[in-house]
Amino acid sequence: MSDLDSAAGTPTLGPPPKRRRVHDDSLDSTPRYGTPDGARHSSPPPAGRLPDQSLSIRRGRPRSRSRSRSRDSGSPSRSRSASYSRSLSHSRTPTRSRSSSRSSSRSRSLSSSLSSSSSSRRRHHPGTTTAQTHHHHHHSRRNRSDRAPILPSYHPHLGLQGHAAAVSQVRISPDGRWIASASADGTAKIWDARTGAHLDTLVGHMAGLSCVAWAPDSDTLATGSDDKSIRLWDRVTGSPAHAVMGGPVGGSGGRNGTAGGARGGRTGRGPLLGHHNYVYCLAFSPKGNILASGSYDEAVFLWDVRAGRLMRSLPAHSDPVSGIDFCRDGTLVVSCSTDGLIRIWDTSTGQCLRTLVHEDNPAVTNVCFSPNGRFVLAFSLDNSIRLWDYVSGLVKKTYQGHTNKAFSVGGCFGVLTDIDDGTAEKEADGTVMRRQAFIASASEDGDIVMWDVGSKAVVQRIAGAHTGVCFWVDVHGATMVSAGQDGIIKVFRHRPKGVAKGNGIPNGVNGVNGQENAAAPDNAAADAELQRQVEADAESPGQHVKEEQL
Amino acid sequence: MNLLLSDDYLLQDYPEHITNTIRSGHSTCVRFNRKGDFLASGRVDGTVVIWDLETMGVARKLRGHSKNITSLSWSRCGRYLLSACQGWKVILWDLQDGKRYREVRFRAPVYGAELHPWNHHQFAAALFEDQPMLVDITDSADVRYVLPSVPKRSNPETDAALKEKQAKEDAKHMTTAIVYTATGDHLLAGTSKGRLNIIDAKTREVIYSEKIASGIITTLRLTESGKDLLVNAQDRIIRTFHVPNLSAADLDPDTIQIPLEHKFQDVVNRLSWNHVAFSATGEYVAASTYNNHELYIWERGHGSLVRMLEGPKEEQGVIEWHPHRALLAACGLETGRINIWSVTSPQRWSALAPDFVEVEENVEYIEREDEFDIHPQEEIQKRRLDQEDEDVDVLTVANGGGLGEDEDAFRMPILFNLGESDSEEEFVNVSLGTLRRKSPGDEDGGDDATGEDRGPGKKTGGPGRGRGRKK
Repeated sequence: MSDLDSAAGTPTLGPPPKRRRVHDDSLDSTPRYGTPDGARHSSPPPAGRLPDQSLSIRRGRPRSRSRSRSRDSGSPSRSRSASYSRSLSHSRTPTRSRSSSRSSSRSRSLSSSLSSSSSSRRRHHPGTTTAQTHHHHHHSRRNRSDRAPILPSYHPHLGLQGHAAAVSQVRISPDGRWIASASADGTAKIWDARTGAHLDTLVGHMAGLSCVAWAPDSDTLATGSDDKSIRLWDRVTGSPAHAVMGGPVGGSGGRNGTAGGARGGRTGRGPLLGHHNYVYCLAFSPKGNILASGSYDEAVFLWDVRAGRLMRSLPAHSDPVSGIDFCRDGTLVVSCSTDGLIRIWDTSTGQCLRTLVHEDNPAVTNVCFSPNGRFVLAFSLDNSIRLWDYVSGLVKKTYQGHTNKAFSVGGCFGVLTDIDDGTAEKEADGTVMRRQAFIASASEDGDIVMWDVGSKAVVQRIAGAHTGVCFWVDVHGATMVSAGQDGIIKVFRHRPKGVAKGNGIPNGVNGVNGQENAAAPDNAAADAELQRQVEADAESPGQHVKEEQL
Repeated sequence: MNLLLSDDYLLQDYPEHITNTIRSGHSTCVRFNRKGDFLASGRVDGTVVIWDLETMGVARKLRGHSKNITSLSWSRCGRYLLSACQGWKVILWDLQDGKRYREVRFRAPVYGAELHPWNHHQFAAALFEDQPMLVDITDSADVRYVLPSVPKRSNPETDAALKEKQAKEDAKHMTTAIVYTATGDHLLAGTSKGRLNIIDAKTREVIYSEKIASGIITTLRLTESGKDLLVNAQDRIIRTFHVPNLSAADLDPDTIQIPLEHKFQDVVNRLSWNHVAFSATGEYVAASTYNNHELYIWERGHGSLVRMLEGPKEEQGVIEWHPHRALLAACGLETGRINIWSVTSPQRWSALAPDFVEVEENVEYIEREDEFDIHPQEEIQKRRLDQEDEDVDVLTVANGGGLGEDEDAFRMPILFNLGESDSEEEFVNVSLGTLRRKSPGDEDGGDDATGEDRGPGKKTGGPGRGRGRKK
């Protein structure tokens, strides 16, 4: 954990400036927040702007799943049917048990490592941070004039703790205000993306969760579980979303959906039942009227969300369906499978329109459409992420540099604008707002890696974001979240190079030992944090000057 | 986006088969919104139901009328829906919250009401045995203007006797159908005497009048461009006309010409037509027939009959053509079901694997010179990666894919509590996914029965058989 510090700043290739560590005398005024993670980004302006960006970004968000399911033997997953489910359950159980055993020991180990990290952070940081920020300053100066590319520069902001097992997927809501996490502990949790406050725990599934998806209105979410069911939840109440047939009907069908719900449909507030095996990936259509689900039963189901009715089942693959996404206008669905195929479907007819296979035929574990819907990004178990032009059927880019051999880790497109970069207001009005896309992915070594879409260069690497495998990364503008085997959800904020921040919220998980659902700065801490920010804001001008002089 | 991948443009542009039947109560009229993703249906009991065409499920139910719905009209943005009923009432619904946005009462049953194409605060209504009205609801109190039905007279009679005679005649002129032109500057009105009147929406005067049919005009419809007019009249003839640009600056009312283009009729069977519709582009004309089960589709280029659509053994009433697709919706008169005809394309099996190609005839395969050469794996990989130097744009949305403006467009909220909201329609879950209404006496049976998919190649989950696994 203690390398979080360095994670934020250092071991990156490419553009990010080398960071010299220089001592700065302003430290004493801001002793505690000099951390390089400069979580300052919770400061009002960026947060307030978030909603504006939500639309475009939501489109780009991948819909996919990550999972604590190990495919350690990698290739075995490609074995066929009969032996299949067996081999699956084999490989699955170990992970599960492992993670649960981890969790028992976790509180101890974590908190200790945490406290050490925070202390170490404090120790270091005098030397580190300010120097960095100072450096940024120079850059920004220059950058602003010649409009250098917007580069992702995400820094740890919050650590959300509360899941009792590995977190398989984490997603930011389309409006950027909420975070939903799905965990192997059988629950999903909703968090406030800004403060990290834990808002709700969604309990109802009978087995671990593999996936979670937000409806476009950010008010409904769907979770998919190993109990073969999909549940729809109301974000506001934290209870199951209404179904068409309310009232007394639900009684027999099982409010909790344990028994007797109709297959291919939904009773009362019960779950969506129909899949014959673990539900592994979910995606809402851009209008929110259709939910697509992919399962270990090798089929893709399209559900009428309003009625909770199975609309269409697509005989999609010959191996578990590992990823699914809708394109921006909702007319196409992409699915992928460990059989190595990526298929594009017509939502309205249910026909397969295109199949993409790479020559080496690696198992594909996650797919998503590009923000404009013209490309498909596929994550495969040969340590590669490929950008496919699905019309021509060609691979346009291959991104490498992360580790992905055994797990289905996830990632997505991220889009940063001048606003995120803090350069917008300072520019002359005439300048066109730029949008810069990048690709973010989790890595099995616990890192988060980000690539430039065009050059395929790694533009940022957050090393050691998680202990163990990092399963999932989701980006929404200046906010990035990740989840991993360690059961922790990390929130990162993009800190533009130009906007130097002298302070920051202590990064990582701050030591709330083993406490359930703790966001790093918990409420009391958040208040204090706010106070600190205010103070820091007041101070910062002077500080900036000082830095520049250096 | 699916247009990039599909060959559907090769398909016929008029529907072929009945593909779906949807039902909610007894529907009497239907209307697509402009984008074509929702279909509004009006029921005999006064309920308006909004269908989501993507899921073929109910998206919203609007309750406020108590009599048969006679017409529906969507606002351009798709957020407002104007419904008129026989109960002398017109309601403008806000689909954001499903509430009544405005309600206007008349002193007669309403034949039909149409929203101004650009301004949802204005509509025109044709009333039964009464003069048509133009209603402005911009302010909280609605302003009504009576519109004329009588033909324009160039030289007002001075003779008292003649005048009286004219007045008597005029009283027999009733407007039976009224539509806005594409710009909304004018209204086209059809009368009970078979006359077409063009009314200036500002001055509310008839600027042109012509007898175009020998019977009552029952339906007037314009194409999207507003350049073609489709008229159904009780004289068993469907007519199409060219409409000049009435909004032209130099328009002289006295020189307006509305030339007749085609007359469609069945001279053998002497059929009369219940309702008519233009296709999306106006290229085709479809009609439902009186006392007959078939739908007729004519092509306008040559004026020839191209297709008679078979459907359920039931006479069809109101018929609507989808705004972009080859899809027709019609209300069965007897059962009140909404039947949907469209085209189904077969699965192209070349899509199922990248190296499959559909060929017309046998092709001799010629092996490439280096096809079986063995290269070191790394080299291939490296070469491959080096070739990826093309610029990719993952952000810019190629416009022209149709619905580019949907960023700020109205989006209907997704409701989960449709069932709970209507108390009179409690469902009982009989068995696996089978529903029936709680009160067995109700004639409607299961209320919202959706999607009997009939199309070939559609493999849809009825409850219970929800998976297609090939093993």
